Amino acid sequence: MRAGSGSILQLLRRLCGRRSAAASLAFLLLVALAAVFADWLPLDPLTQSLADSLMPPSAAAWFGTDELGRDILARVVYGARTSLATAFGAVVIAAAIGVPVGLVAGFFGDWRDSVLMRCIDVLLALPNILFAMALIAVLGRSQAAALVAVGIAGVPTFARIARAQVMALRQLDFVAATRSFGGSSGYIMFRTILPNAMSPLVVQAIVLASIAILLEAALAFLGVGVPPPTPSWGEMLRTGKSYLHEAPSYAVLPGLVLTLTILSLDTIGRALTALLDNHDADLAERRGS
Amino acid sequence: MTTISRRQFWMAGIALAAMVPMAASNTAAAQQLKGGTLRVAVLQELANYDPQQLSTVNFHVIKNLYDSLIEYTADGKPEPSLATEWMIAPDKTSVTVKLREGVTFHSGAPFKADSVLATLQKGADPKRGKNVFPTMSVVKDWSAPDERTVVINFKGPVPDRQILDLLQFMIPIEAKGIDTVETVPAGTGPFLLVSRAVGQGLRMKANPNYWRPQQPFAQELVFTVFSEDASASAALESGAVDLIYNGSSRSAVRLKSAGYQVFTGPGKLVQVFRINSTRGPFRNKSFRQAFNHLIDRAGILRVGYAGLGEVVAQPWAPASPAFDGSYNKSHAYDLEKAKALLKASGLSPAEMKDWKLLVNGSEESSVQISQIVQQALAKAGIPIELDVRQGAEFVTALLGGDFAAVFGAVGNVQKFPSRVATNSIYRTVQNPILKDPHPHPAYVAAIARVDAATGSEAEVKAAYDNLNKVLVDEAFAVPTNSYEVGLIVASPKIGGVTPEIDNLLVARTIGFK
Repeated sequence: MRAGSGSILQLLRRLCGRRSAAASLAFLLLVALAAVFADWLPLDPLTQSLADSLMPPSAAAWFGTDELGRDILARVVYGARTSLATAFGAVVIAAAIGVPVGLVAGFFGDWRDSVLMRCIDVLLALPNILFAMALIAVLGRSQAAALVAVGIAGVPTFARIARAQVMALRQLDFVAATRSFGGSSGYIMFRTILPNAMSPLVVQAIVLASIAILLEAALAFLGVGVPPPTPSWGEMLRTGKSYLHEAPSYAVLPGLVLTLTILSLDTIGRALTALLDNHDADLAERRGS
Repeated sequence: MTTISRRQFWMAGIALAAMVPMAASNTAAAQQLKGGTLRVAVLQELANYDPQQLSTVNFHVIKNLYDSLIEYTADGKPEPSLATEWMIAPDKTSVTVKLREGVTFHSGAPFKADSVLATLQKGADPKRGKNVFPTMSVVKDWSAPDERTVVINFKGPVPDRQILDLLQFMIPIEAKGIDTVETVPAGTGPFLLVSRAVGQGLRMKANPNYWRPQQPFAQELVFTVFSEDASASAALESGAVDLIYNGSSRSAVRLKSAGYQVFTGPGKLVQVFRINSTRGPFRNKSFRQAFNHLIDRAGILRVGYAGLGEVVAQPWAPASPAFDGSYNKSHAYDLEKAKALLKASGLSPAEMKDWKLLVNGSEESSVQISQIVQQALAKAGIPIELDVRQGAEFVTALLGGDFAAVFGAVGNVQKFPSRVATNSIYRTVQNPILKDPHPHPAYVAAIARVDAATGSEAEVKAAYDNLNKVLVDEAFAVPTNSYEVGLIVASPKIGGVTPEIDNLLVARTIGFK
């Protein structure tokens, strides 16, 4: 039942078959490549030129310049690095904590389920942004703090999804068969059930990535994100809103890139959900026949 | 400074007292202002109604609910208000103040000497005196020979200007309202408080018993609190408010170009790079002095304050008697000079970068100018990090002196020079940053010399020159620029805006054209 590399490629091919998903994938790829290879691009996000502050978009500065005369395009590109690193780190943290918690809770049930899920309920009761701000107040203002804050805020969703998947799968025959062959609980949870519960978790990872980017931008907008002069999309929005009259491109263009990134992640998430649902339905149909 | 004789002083006071109503009626006649409801946008919520807690959040109400004993004109000349006359004793150890007759508090009680005595008592109390307390340090005692006269005695001879500053700072509060003044205003001012909605604004109405003839022009004064500068600007442009008080310089510049009136006043603040000279590399004088040449003052003024203000290397506004523009040239941005001083400091590169610049994250201009300095330091081979903190976290660090360096504004820069010592970084005793004993005795001595300079003009000037020299030499505070506080942006239909020495909002003279 486990999805192999062939089926992943097939999934990607089917994803690319959808026009909106293909466009979103291409845009995200562009942003990711720009973020990864930013150091090789002729862009400098930090050097100030006060004489050239708040310049409109031009051939020299495609997105214009900010109030300190820095190239907005360069800051958008390097800001992508901040956003994507936060998104990636947050997803890893959320999955690394949330999935095992959900697996244990769902697999064993009993008191372990009660204790773990009440802890998750406590986390869920806290508004993400408030929790993240509180954590940053304790850890201090840095990219690592933002990443951890957003990651921990994403734990409950992963835990709940993993738990629900395990509860549905643990009763099925292939799990009972593994158990009858003497498979340990750990083996069954991580080697038998988890691979078959991946579909919704992958979709959740994409959803959380978009939430993480948005949350990181919101934290920066509120002034508790990565400290300046490190570029951040949220920080650019925060400062740019003060210059909407003099330099509309300052806030609008980073805002547009942020919106497109979130939109792309959301589109891919939806497309993946639809494809995986169809995929699962096909499998079920085949099993039935 | 010339000493004026007793007769001259009385005469000057009486003449000025006679001129005030004349000037007011002339202004009204010339501008033909009409009354109505004056709607003012403010960007900060009022803290309380205590006029001795003079901070920018209260600037919009103080001169509308209260009057001071004397006032200053925009160019720093004293004029009567609740005091009609004042006489400084020839030995400068006392001042006798005659109080105006026919003035009533908002409660209806007559204004007499007892309220001035109660106000002085509050000001001299270290817990209740708030911002007035440091000014009262020169005062020994006070008395009221009769209900219209108050005599203030000083601990020693005090310069005339310092005495006048004290009278200007003294805002009489009704004696029986002293204890509740934070929540219930108790003044003689041109407007009466009608209602307040915390976080939203407040409403006042004209005081029908106000002592200045024909004032206030407006029958009603309505303040609305806006959390965003852009929202306040939009409200002005849409006609929802008539003026914005204490908005940003950037918005003012934009609105001016759109045809709105912008009024700046003499009561500027000076932005100062505050250095904790008891910490890390800042213990080294050469290292501190390098900052005089590392700071791009013109760039800071342009980016942080839209060019509204002046570049300054000393903590004085141009209206200050100690202002000396030559320091702006001698201590201008010069990377080579800065590098030479850094080299002379003998500090290693690791020692030089062993600190963080504290930044007020809630204040956009602070974030911007801190980044400008950060880049200048990087050019000089000192890469540092910014320690950006928000709200209470920043204020706690600032007031507790828990920082290596930080930008922060100082006030009273247009008054008597030693008044600069009312700002925390410039305090000579109980300095919350530099602590006691003060690590810069030369500065403490320079302030004392200014306070003691009651003699000839040459003696006074020498004391000011000495203070300026010591300030740049010790370099525990590096001023960068003056900037506008209490900036007024008004619709074209507004007239009668009066500049106030501290840039407080004086609504009584404002009307509609």
